[in-house]
Amino acid sequence: MTEFLTAIKPGAGHWLVLSAILFSVGLYGLLSRRNAVGVLMAVELMLNSAALNFVVLNRYVAPGRVDGQMMALFVIAVAAAEVVVGMAIFVALFRHRSTIDVTRMDIMKF
Amino acid sequence: MTPQDAANTILFYVLGAAAVLLALALVNTRRLLRAAIYLMGVLAASAGLYILLGAEFLAGIQVLVYVGGIVVLIVFAVMLTRSADLLVDKPTLGRMILGGATSIAFLILSATTLWFSDFGVIQDGAAPKDNTLAIGKQLLDTGAGGYVLPFEIISLLLLGAIIAGIVIARKAPPRNQPLTSGGDLPGEVTARLPRSQKDKAVEGGRS
Repeated sequence: MTEFLTAIKPGAGHWLVLSAILFSVGLYGLLSRRNAVGVLMAVELMLNSAALNFVVLNRYVAPGRVDGQMMALFVIAVAAAEVVVGMAIFVALFRHRSTIDVTRMDIMKF
Repeated sequence: MTPQDAANTILFYVLGAAAVLLALALVNTRRLLRAAIYLMGVLAASAGLYILLGAEFLAGIQVLVYVGGIVVLIVFAVMLTRSADLLVDKPTLGRMILGGATSIAFLILSATTLWFSDFGVIQDGAAPKDNTLAIGKQLLDTGAGGYVLPFEIISLLLLGAIIAGIVIARKAPPRNQPLTSGGDLPGEVTARLPRSQKDKAVEGGRS
C-alpha cells in the first residue's frame, strides 16, 4: 500500500495533466452547448483550470513566492466581472429576442 | 512516506476524480440548473485542490467568490432567461462530434507535452508557509514586484462591470420618459397614458 502510494505520489506532471483534462472538458462544453448560459459555465470551467495551473506552477517552480497565487486571485476577480457583464447581456438579449440560443445569434443587426 | 503524504496523495486523486466527473456531468447534462449545481461542485473540489497545494487563502477566496457569488449569479441568469424550461439544451450530433474531436485532440496534445517534457525549472516544492501574510504584503507593495497597480486596476474593472451590468440589463424607459427617474412620479405616469385614460387619472387624482 505504502509503495503504491509512493509510486503514484502526485508531482507537477500529475497536477498539470489534471488541469489540462478540466480545460478540455470546458472546451467541449464551449463548443457543444447551445444555451448561452451553458457556454458561460463552460468558460468558467476553463478559467478555473487556468487558475489552478497558476497555483500548481507557483508551488513547483517558486514555492518561496506567491506570484502565481496572485495571478489566480486576479483571474477570479476578472471572472467575476465577466460573469456580471455576460449575465446582463443575456438578460437584455432575452428581453429583445425571447431566446438565448447561441446558434440563432448570427446576425449583427436587425 | 509520512502519513500526511499518504493522505495528500489519496486526497489528490479523490478530489481530482470528483472535479473531472462533475465537469463531465456539467457539460453533458441537458438541464441548466443541474449544470449550475455541478459547477458549484467542481469549484468546491478545486478549492480543496488549492488547499492541497498550500494555498489556503486562495481556497477561501474561491469558495467566497466563485461558489458563493458567481454560481448564484449564474442561477439567476438561468431563471431570468427562463432557459430552464424554454430550451432543453440538447446539442446536435455534429456539434458533439466537432466539440469532442477538438477537445480530445487538445487534451492528447497538451497532456503528452506536459507529461513527457522535462521542465528544467520544476523542483519538488514544499508547500509554502505564511501564504496569506505574503499575499497581503505583496498585494499592497508599491516597490518592484509589488501588485498595487493591478490591484487598483481590478477595482476599476469591477466598478466598470457593475455599471455596465446595470446599464445593459435595465429596462428601456418608455418614449417620453426622462432617463433620470424611475417613472413613478404622477406627472410621468399620466404623460405616457392615452388621452382618454389621462383625463380619468387626473380626475381620480383630484377626487
